[in-house]
Amino acid sequence: MNIKITADRTLGKLTLVEAAKEHGKQLRRIRKFQSILLSVLRGLLLGGLCFIILYPVIQQVLLGLRAPIDSNDPSVIWIPKNWSLQNFELAAIVLDYWNSLVNTFKLSGISMVLQVASTALAGYAFSRLKFRGSNILFFFVILTIIIPPQALSLAQYLYFREIGIVGSENAIYLMSGLGQGIRSGIFIYIFRSFFQGLPKELEEAAQVDGASVFRIFWNVMLPNARGAIVTVGLFAFVWQWNDTYYASIFNISSEAFPILTMRLVNAAENVYAALFYTGGLSLIGQDVWSNPMFLATISNVAALLMMLPLLIMYLFVQRQFVESIERTGIVG
Amino acid sequence: MQDTASNKQLNPNGKKKFEMTYKRQKLLWAVVFLLPWFIGLLLLFIVPFFQSLNYSFYKLTPQVGSILFEHVGFDNYLYALNQHVSTSTSTSFSVEMINTMTDVAFNLPVLLIFSLFMAVLLNMKFKGRAIVRAIFFVPVILNSAAVASALGGGSIMTEILEQQGIGQIFDLHFFLLQTGIPEFMVNFVVGLIDRIYDILSLSGVPILLFLASIQSIPKHLYEAAKIEGATGYETFWLITLPNVSPHILTVVVYALVDTFLTSPVSGIIQHELNTQNWGLSSAMAWIYVLFILGTLLVVFLLAKIFKVGGSHYEH
Repeated sequence: MNIKITADRTLGKLTLVEAAKEHGKQLRRIRKFQSILLSVLRGLLLGGLCFIILYPVIQQVLLGLRAPIDSNDPSVIWIPKNWSLQNFELAAIVLDYWNSLVNTFKLSGISMVLQVASTALAGYAFSRLKFRGSNILFFFVILTIIIPPQALSLAQYLYFREIGIVGSENAIYLMSGLGQGIRSGIFIYIFRSFFQGLPKELEEAAQVDGASVFRIFWNVMLPNARGAIVTVGLFAFVWQWNDTYYASIFNISSEAFPILTMRLVNAAENVYAALFYTGGLSLIGQDVWSNPMFLATISNVAALLMMLPLLIMYLFVQRQFVESIERTGIVG
Repeated sequence: MQDTASNKQLNPNGKKKFEMTYKRQKLLWAVVFLLPWFIGLLLLFIVPFFQSLNYSFYKLTPQVGSILFEHVGFDNYLYALNQHVSTSTSTSFSVEMINTMTDVAFNLPVLLIFSLFMAVLLNMKFKGRAIVRAIFFVPVILNSAAVASALGGGSIMTEILEQQGIGQIFDLHFFLLQTGIPEFMVNFVVGLIDRIYDILSLSGVPILLFLASIQSIPKHLYEAAKIEGATGYETFWLITLPNVSPHILTVVVYALVDTFLTSPVSGIIQHELNTQNWGLSSAMAWIYVLFILGTLLVVFLLAKIFKVGGSHYEH
């Protein structure tokens, strides 16, 4: 910015030349125009991207809310002609919804608690209780992030078969509790960077007051780590909820212990068979179930049913989640 | 915690010779804290890691109560690379591996730039920011193989919609070709637009990481720049980018691992594992590991050459 300024000796102060004033006005006008343009462009871009994200969800909800007969009506594309919840009822039958919902909740909840506990302890030790060789051990954490689970699953499967926990949810609990669950390495990394970011004075003050190492961890550090715990907890829960890999490798899902993802995958492979075996077919006419559009709708609605609890929970924690990430300083 | 009992026993000693024992206490608790993870590392990581290397040289046939081992040398590897055709997806391992590698090469830079750009946008102050942020992390929540396979059934639906002429309002591919842009460019752009949802769903966590790292930049730098009359464009290049660059490597590693994990290759390996072609699946997993390590090596070398990831401020 170069603004012309004249010095008036008699008055002893500086005044702007008229032309420079005009120039300043113009500059301000340009700035204002730029900022309006920026916000319009930003609005368009973000609005479009948000639409892309929400589009499948909206489509599924609208598909789900139409009556099964509407599948045969080519004039129904977006807004249902006959509103009904029958698609949801059928999809719930296919998924064995309430049983699998409870089981999935239990599986994800317990493994989340175990993951948070084991990774928080390890992360704390790596950041605050350093000893000779702890950096070498931390290198192994990085390795566990990089090496894909496919390289390990077979040997893990055979080992679990030996100790007799294949086919039960204990396999997942064991892995989570020992810090080798779904992406535990990343969680250890998050906790480590977080604890590293906490001021050293906290620890020193507590130490002077005579607190033991465990007390410092439990009463001083952990309450300050709420942000990191929320982040890790949410990710652990969601990834376990969505997991199909470990569930299928270790045969977690069974008739007695159905879980949502596996039911959904099986249903999606053959909707007709799933409807047939669960007795859903008898609830609707043949003209409807012979339509592939209807079968695709059921599989979509089933997917929606699986995502719905997560979406509802996310609505409640999203503010805390997004804000906590800012404060966690995940990346140090 | 059952360890509090032993903790109380430690305390009386700790009061007398504080300086000496605090260090020892620390070591003790470090061992206690790391113990579960370390047992897990040994039992569920290191041992399986070498076992699967071993398995990949054998043909494993499960029998009642035991497994028959048959040494076959490098046959599993050669079979995976040359002859394999997946029965589930009717594609071959090597083709999918090459596809994944090209995907990574093209998508990773796009993903990186896109998520940094989005993070900068989401960091600005505007009306409805909280809602937009909440929506942006929805794909992180919904990113699931099961949901994807269920929606894959929806391909019938999109076909039906397209037959009715609703799917495509105007054909971008055709339109761009008519303007005389070279075909490979057109394919790249159209491919990107087709994959925008995939990119969005992969970029959730990278955006979070970038957002966190932008938030950690001291505010006074921006204030000083504003007083000096720097534009937003200049502050981005001179303040935001240099301060974010140490974390670019973290994001790259995360995105890389994530892309590989969600690629069809891991689907093929999983399928072979489930159909009890154990030796073959181990060999495939090892090829896959080697590819990831190779890519990471290239990334680290590039980072070294372009000096990305080093500290911006030399102290």
